[in-house]
Parts: sequence; structure tokens; C-alpha cells
Amino acid sequence: MWKKTALCLLGLCANVALAQEMSATDIIRKAMDHYRGLTSYSEMTMTIHRPDWERSMTMQAWTEGEKRTLVRVVEPKKDAGNGTLSVDGNMWTYTPKINRVIKIPSSMMSQSWMGSDFSNKDVSKDTNIIDQYDHSLLEQYEQDGHQVYVIQSIPHEEAAVVWGKEILWIRDDWVLLEQQFWDQDGALVKTLKALEIAPMGGRNVATLMRMGNQDKPEEWTQLQTSAVEFDLALPANQFTLSNLRNPRE
Amino acid sequence: MRYPFATISTLAWRNLWRNSRRTLIMLAAIAVGVWAMIFMAALMRGMTDQMVRNGLQTLPGEVQVHQRDYRADPSVVNSMAPPSRGLLAALLEPPVTAWAGRVRVPAVISSERGSRSVTLLGVDPAAELILGSLPEKIVAGRALDAPADRGVVIGASLARRLETGLGKRVVLMSQDTDNNVVDRGVRVVGIYHARLQGNEDRFVYAGRAAVQGLLGIGDAISEIAITGDDYRRVQHWYPRIARAAGDEFETLPWTELDPFLGSMLAVQDGFTLVFMVVVFLALSFGLVNTLVMAVFERVREIGLMQALGMRPGLILGQIMLESFYLLGLGLLVGNVLAVATLKPLATGIDISAVAQGMEMMGMGAILYPALHIQDMLMSTAVVIVLGLLASLAPAWRASRLDPVAALTRD
Repeated sequence: MWKKTALCLLGLCANVALAQEMSATDIIRKAMDHYRGLTSYSEMTMTIHRPDWERSMTMQAWTEGEKRTLVRVVEPKKDAGNGTLSVDGNMWTYTPKINRVIKIPSSMMSQSWMGSDFSNKDVSKDTNIIDQYDHSLLEQYEQDGHQVYVIQSIPHEEAAVVWGKEILWIRDDWVLLEQQFWDQDGALVKTLKALEIAPMGGRNVATLMRMGNQDKPEEWTQLQTSAVEFDLALPANQFTLSNLRNPRE
Repeated sequence: MRYPFATISTLAWRNLWRNSRRTLIMLAAIAVGVWAMIFMAALMRGMTDQMVRNGLQTLPGEVQVHQRDYRADPSVVNSMAPPSRGLLAALLEPPVTAWAGRVRVPAVISSERGSRSVTLLGVDPAAELILGSLPEKIVAGRALDAPADRGVVIGASLARRLETGLGKRVVLMSQDTDNNVVDRGVRVVGIYHARLQGNEDRFVYAGRAAVQGLLGIGDAISEIAITGDDYRRVQHWYPRIARAAGDEFETLPWTELDPFLGSMLAVQDGFTLVFMVVVFLALSFGLVNTLVMAVFERVREIGLMQALGMRPGLILGQIMLESFYLLGLGLLVGNVLAVATLKPLATGIDISAVAQGMEMMGMGAILYPALHIQDMLMSTAVVIVLGLLASLAPAWRASRLDPVAALTRD
């Protein structure tokens, strides 16, 4: 009896460990699916804050699957119509003022997207975290009636990722609470944090997110989501260059 | 007078030391002038040498073969197949001493805290080593060991700018032939030090096969760099390579790959000569003045010699010899001085205080003066020829004195 219990416990522990090992990746996948859906449409306001200035722009974004994103600026007027299309890791921008679609060359992929704290790469490739990293569950705790999973993601040796590791806090309703970017010396560099969470479009989503730089607390970029819709039907040409150039109303 | 020349040379020598203080001052002036000519020429030659050598190092190989459009648009689209048949045979023949095929594409390297545009060089370390185009000094870590090496070697300055270091992962990003973004995380296996900081920032070395894999170009390369015996003699052998490569490719010597460097050597000689003449012109006023005074003081004496039957030609010769001795002694002292000051500086002069400015000209923080025998010969020729020309006037006047008038002058 004693022996059996011990064995059982050991076996159970092993099972739990295995389950956790498997689930870390699943949790991340769930969170990404949750945040993008099969398809999604959202309206948001991006606020770029610097010590001496601040500006906001309102935009619309469409996503499909993990590899297609289209973002279009609605306000302010002088930026209206500026668009960014990202398909399979490639990225194009369109500026109505010069009426040109420009492919973002690889040399500019690490540069900031529209002057924000997000890079072009962040915008075009935000789901590659799933298969380019090794994920492990660090801990799990309860908060406000939700389970929160803390997952450490370490990029593969040849993954095109500069970070030493990322740590993600994901709630059991698959809302990403916080994502920390650590350098290879173990120092925190950037943090993406959900400041407000509210039900929208049928699920709980982070309606206010802020990307902040650890070394410069006075510089951050905030994304306020005002409307979101998931799993809607998008036209087949939604993620094409012609649609980037001539938006269908 | 059986030996007029012996007599006038003795006279000239003794006259020289009659007013020894004046002669010594003039001698010092000539010596300093000559020293300045040689010293400056050595410094300038050191500068050009270094510019050319640094230039050749960043453009390794005195002859390069490219796909026709590569130089206009150095992208991966304009790569070419590795050399085969005729070209390969030409590359294995003397005077070619080494050659290497390399991939050279623009890329971006990023770390956690920054990203920079760089030139990514996919190299075959063994071949490049013979070519002498790999960074001279690895300050940390190791050099690349094989074309398949999956690490990168970056410059010390680049590492500082990216706030990364040895053993860290960085991300290389470039484009494939369809203009799609390709990227990969790579580990920094070595950090190099280059003579020019600009090069440290600009060049990232990686294994050739690894880069070809990243870009998805099979075994294609961007350029073939070839080196032969002496970089100054490249005109003699590069046409043969060009013929072997054929019209499909563009084969150019370094003088055309970098016309600035090419013209530098040609300009250098003329520049040195101009500089020497300018220094001498300043000197010549002192020289002529000294001789005019010497003649002026000796008017009666010259009159007497003429009255005793010395021909004007000998008087002219005597003054010219006097000037020649002066110039010769000055040259000797000046040359010895120049060699004596340049020898201890052969290990290099630290000019790091102004290194940033010099770097714009393609120079390092240490200047190595180059003493060339031809510069010493050139300064000697300039001083003797122009010096004698300058002394012709006073000598001519002395030889044309009217003996009676000269003797009766107070």
C-alpha cells in the first residue's frame, strides 16, 4: 500500500511534469490564437510617449492566421491612409502622399515602426515566438480568480531573435498580461504590459498595452484598443498590395 | 698654373671658412631645409602607403572579378558561379599567388540594444588567410576555422556599439535573390581589431557556406579576389585574368576598383617634388644672399686675382665651387639628420590625438614614416641643381668685374 502510493505519487509527479512541459508551448499558442483569432479586425490608438513630446494615431488592423497583417492609419489627418502590410515576414508600406508602395528592406526591419517602440519586425512577426523558442513553465499562481502561467521562452540557437530569453505571464483565459524581453546577460530590456483588460469582441482582451524600455522609463508606446472583432469573414484580397494601395470601403 | 682646378677648389674651401660663423649659419639652414624635405617626404609617403595598403585590405585582392552588374548594385542578385575551367586554370598559374571567392552582401546585424548596417563577408578562411584579407588581430575569441563555420567574427568597435560581446548571439538579416528577408541568429565567436575603426564597424566575417545557406544561393559567390606579386605591377598581369574570365564578368585591377587609391601613388611623386622645390625656394634667398655678401667683401681681392691673370671662368668656377661645398655639406648633414630622426620613428608615430580626422582619409592611429632612397636622391638633386642655378648670378657678377675698378674700390 505504502509502496503503491509512493509509486503513484512519483508517477503522478512525472505525469504532471510532462503535462507542464507540453503545455507551456500550448499556452503560448493559445494566447497568440486568442489575441489574433483566425481572423481579426481591431481599431486602436497608438500613443508614443517621449520625455519632450507625445503623439497619438488611430488605426485599423486586420489579421489572418499567423502570417498576415494589414494596418492602416485613420488619424491624424496628415498620416491618414498610411498603411503597412505584412505577409510571411515580408513587409510593405504605402504612403498616399507619394502614392508609392515601398517594400521594407531587410536593413530596416529592426527599425522602429512609425516611430514607436515596436520594431517593424515586432509588427510583422509577432507569432514566431511559438516555434522559434523552447518554452518552459516557471510557475503558476492564482490571481483575481484566474490561474496565471509564467512561461520562460528561450530562443533556439539559430533563431533570428536577439533576446536571451522572454518571460510571459499568461492568464488562463489566454490574455497575455506581460511579456518581458531579457538580454543575454540576464538584464531586463523591454516590457510589454497589459494595463487594462476588458471583454470585447466576445472575449477578454488587453485593451490597453504599453511597451516600455527598462533603461528609459520616460519612453513608452501605448496601444489602446477601442473595438475588436474576431473570426470575421475577410475578402480574399484583404492582404494584397493592391488593397494596401487602394483600400476597399 | 698647372692645376687650376686644384687651386680654385683650395681657394673655394678656404674662402668658405674665412667667415666661419656665416658659413655655419648657412650650413645649418641648408641642413634643416634638407632634413625637412626628406622628413616630410617620408611622412607623406608613409601616409599614402598606409592609405593604399588599408585601402587594399578593405578591397582585398589587387584584382577582382565580379558579375557585370555587381559593382553598380552589390546585392545578392548579382552573384556568380564559382570559377571553373579557363578562369580556374588562370587563377592557379603564377604570378597569381592567392585567390579567394567570397560572398559580399549588405546586411544588418542586431543585438538586444541596437542594430547596424554592415557588409557581410562570407569567406573561406584558409584561402583568405593567404590573401591576407582577414582581420589582422583577433582580440578575443577565435578566427573562423572553415567555410562552414556558423559563427561570426565582428569588429571591436561594432561590438561596443551593439553592446554585445564574445559568445553572445546576434541576428544577421539580409535578402535572398527574391528580395525576401532572410535572417538567422548567430553566435559571435571572435572579435577583431582593425587599423581603421570604420572597418571594424563595417565588416562582419562569417563562413562562406553558412552565408550561402542563409541567402539560399547554393555555391554562388559575389566576387573573386586575386593577389599577385607586387601591387604596383598589377597592370602587367591582370589582362590575362580578364581574358580567362571572359566578357560575362568584369575583371578590374585595384587602380580602377578604387580610382582614388590608384591616383594617389601617381600624385605622390609630383607632390613630393613640389614640396621640395618650395622648401628650397625659401632656402635659396639665404644662399644667394650669403654668396652676394661673400663676393661683395672680396671685390678687391677678385680684382687682384684678375689683375694677376686669373681668367673670369675660373673666378666663376671658384664661387660656384664655394656654393657647391656649402650645399654638399648641408646635404650631408641634412641627410644624416633625417635618417637619424626617422630610424627611431620607424616603429610608428602615435597620432591617435588626431586619429578621427585622419581616419576620414583612410589612415590609422599610427603613422609609419617611409624613408625611400628615391626621396633622398630627389632632395639632393633639387638642392644641387637649384642651388647652383641660384649661385650663378653672384658668381657671374664676380667674374665680370673690371679689374681696375675693383682694385681701386674703397
